[in-house]
Amino acid sequence: MKKILLSVLLSAPLWVLGQGFQVNLQGQKQIGMAGAGSALALDEASVFYNPGAVTFLEKNSVSAGVNPLLFKSAFKQTGSNVTEDVKNKIAPPFEFYAVWGPKSNKWKLGLGVYTPFGGLVDWGDNWSGKYALTSLNLKAIYFQPTLSIKITDRIGIGAGFVYNHGDVNLQRAIPVNFPDGRSGKATLDGTGTGYGWNAGLYIKTLSNISFALVHKSKVITKLDGGSAEFEVPKSLEGSFPAGNTFNAELPLPATTSLGVGIPLSKSTVLAFDASWVQWHIYQDLSFDYATNTPALVDTKSARNYRDGSSFKLGINHQASEKLALRAGVGYAFSPVQDGYVTPEAPDADRYILSAGLGYTPTHHFEVNASFFFEDVKSRKQKNIETGLDGTFKTLVYAPGISLTYKW
Amino acid sequence: MKKYILNSFVAAIILFAAACKPEIETPAGTTAGQANFSKYIAVGNSLTSGYADGGLYLEGQKVAYPNLIAAKMATVGGGAFTSPFFSEEHLNGSGYISLTALVNGTPTLTPVVDKLAIRDAAKHLDKYSGEIQNLGIPGMRVDLAFAPAFSAANPFFERLLTDAQVGTTSYFQYVQTKNHTFFSLWLGNNDVLGYALNGAVTVSTDPTTTLTDKVTFSSLYANFLNALTAGGQKGIVGTIPDVTAVPYFNTVTVAALLNAAKAINPAAAAIYIQTGTGAVRSATAEDLIRLPFQSEGIFGKPNGSGIPYGLHPLNPIENRWVLDKDEVIKVKDYVNSYNGTIKSLASSKGLAIADTYAYFNQVKTGINVQGVGINASFITGGAFSLDGIHLTPRGNAVIANVFIDAINAKYGSTVPNIDITQYRGVKFPN
Repeated sequence: MKKILLSVLLSAPLWVLGQGFQVNLQGQKQIGMAGAGSALALDEASVFYNPGAVTFLEKNSVSAGVNPLLFKSAFKQTGSNVTEDVKNKIAPPFEFYAVWGPKSNKWKLGLGVYTPFGGLVDWGDNWSGKYALTSLNLKAIYFQPTLSIKITDRIGIGAGFVYNHGDVNLQRAIPVNFPDGRSGKATLDGTGTGYGWNAGLYIKTLSNISFALVHKSKVITKLDGGSAEFEVPKSLEGSFPAGNTFNAELPLPATTSLGVGIPLSKSTVLAFDASWVQWHIYQDLSFDYATNTPALVDTKSARNYRDGSSFKLGINHQASEKLALRAGVGYAFSPVQDGYVTPEAPDADRYILSAGLGYTPTHHFEVNASFFFEDVKSRKQKNIETGLDGTFKTLVYAPGISLTYKW
Repeated sequence: MKKYILNSFVAAIILFAAACKPEIETPAGTTAGQANFSKYIAVGNSLTSGYADGGLYLEGQKVAYPNLIAAKMATVGGGAFTSPFFSEEHLNGSGYISLTALVNGTPTLTPVVDKLAIRDAAKHLDKYSGEIQNLGIPGMRVDLAFAPAFSAANPFFERLLTDAQVGTTSYFQYVQTKNHTFFSLWLGNNDVLGYALNGAVTVSTDPTTTLTDKVTFSSLYANFLNALTAGGQKGIVGTIPDVTAVPYFNTVTVAALLNAAKAINPAAAAIYIQTGTGAVRSATAEDLIRLPFQSEGIFGKPNGSGIPYGLHPLNPIENRWVLDKDEVIKVKDYVNSYNGTIKSLASSKGLAIADTYAYFNQVKTGINVQGVGINASFITGGAFSLDGIHLTPRGNAVIANVFIDAINAKYGSTVPNIDITQYRGVKFPN
């Protein structure tokens, strides 16, 4: 006689992007210097760090590198005596660059393929925040063809077009229970594309102090027709129809960087970068399901990100003709405001420490290695939307290595 | 050289990753503060016993809020906690109802009748003779706790007593025999709920349908607190939830009935009820209808004169199905009075207070706890079991945290909170 409408079971948000998703690992030399180096024409990674500096590279080159990244996050619910850790999963941010131009000409072409955003967090299926998130695997791969031109002997400009291929797989538990007591599960999986650009200015003053101004545009990545699968008891399958799809948008923010390079001696150079990450574009996250039911409504979750920023200082010392040593420190301010921290991006302000070395056995070959460490501050939060209440603490370890061939 | 670099690199990674796991330091689970949890007893009614889905059965007993609290007290000096569990062979205890189908949102509720712990034709339950600290007795009231005869009438109490005690020992006497160091007392709900659940109709032969007089309640509750603190013990009391905050009174609404009637006869204009004074009038949103009405199958049925039930002043919904708005006011007044008594007596004794009245009012409007939306909706709300009154395991975990927070705040203890996501809501049929 009376129908009982199922309440909104899926009102909570599904994912978030944070500083935690910005991956600052795009070139081994720069990583070794905490990510500074936009004002240095160090190598082919300038395609990413500063397209304006690419034309000042002496040689043509190709390089490929990888930075296996271990994101170690822990969570403790407020009032609990149990600390829960994410599973040890290695995310593989990588970079590939090629730079070519006729010798002693005023221009160079470049290509970069790199992963500026991503996240791999797996809290397991039965942790205390499972109804907010169980796992996220997000990858954004940018393809960037680039042209760099020397305007004068001391000024270069460059710009690249960015095409983004994004992949996302997000899983969470649904608080409905099967007869055996286990929870339902939602899996959202999709790919998307987006476009943007990356442009830079490089100026080398007469004192050999260099400056950089770089802007990487926002890349709004649209996910269309991703699959939305729900594992629920049969009696609820009508509310969570099979074969459902969703559309969503991932707003990847613009970054503006100012860089300075200061030569301390013939063999030692200092680099400083200040970056402004324009996360304010991330005001809400919306999911539009192809099929809606009373229990599965489209969601629009407030995110209210503010802009983030980072400051990085690095040093590069050419110890011998073949060996270079590097180190760096940095600090980044989180864009995530209180009340919006989530387990997929347990973000907070963070310290950055790095070290690296380069070895050049011949004129053609070069190997570079780095170690990048981030200490994300402990942050006690109660999420406004989900009510997830506890303290997050994260440490990030990313060793890396790259091989370069130059001619 | 290259090999050397690589080797040292790998070694560095291994060292770093192994040594540097993030640590979060909190005081949870480090101290009992001024409390002594070595022997905790839980005094109360069905909520304390773990009663759920219209029955007392083993799964519910295991996740009763006192049992969840006691497990956490163990980290700060709490001892063993014993409960009168039904055996595995008779794990369905008194029997309960389960959700066997949900078609277009309409539930089918089916009694579970196997593996019962019913020992005789008079429906007495399997006896339990071991040590007991969860002293929750479904149906227990503050007034009847002082009536020795009730120990024979209530099968849940009867099963805990020896033959000599049955009918001669009152609940009040019984709870004083446990040598406890800490107690919880969540009692009094039934002193008003029994009346409300019967549609505010008091049956003269059934003392569980009466309202306990406010002054009587006050003096008897004081007796309880005096007895439980006689040895200087510390403890916690729970306030009584607003009985109108439970799905039992909020699922079958007047508006829903009218919509159902209009679907069949668009001319239907009003629902008619018989009030507690015997008057017949059209129902408003302030009149509450009991949950079992929906499965009774009488709504809209024509009587001998062809007048449909509930849709005409000459064939109204009977008083026993309805808590009319004046009765709601009366019931709320008693709840407020009892709660005033509970709080002032507990404060004068320096005891912790778990204000479940305030908490359930929040649940009624909906709260998000650790990623789980919880509200007072029937079946989907997550907190209330299939009887619309008692708690699911998830509801027990949430309420246990309300008690733990109040205990910690009062006594400076750090009893850890419970991870509510480990506990289920209603089981949906597969």
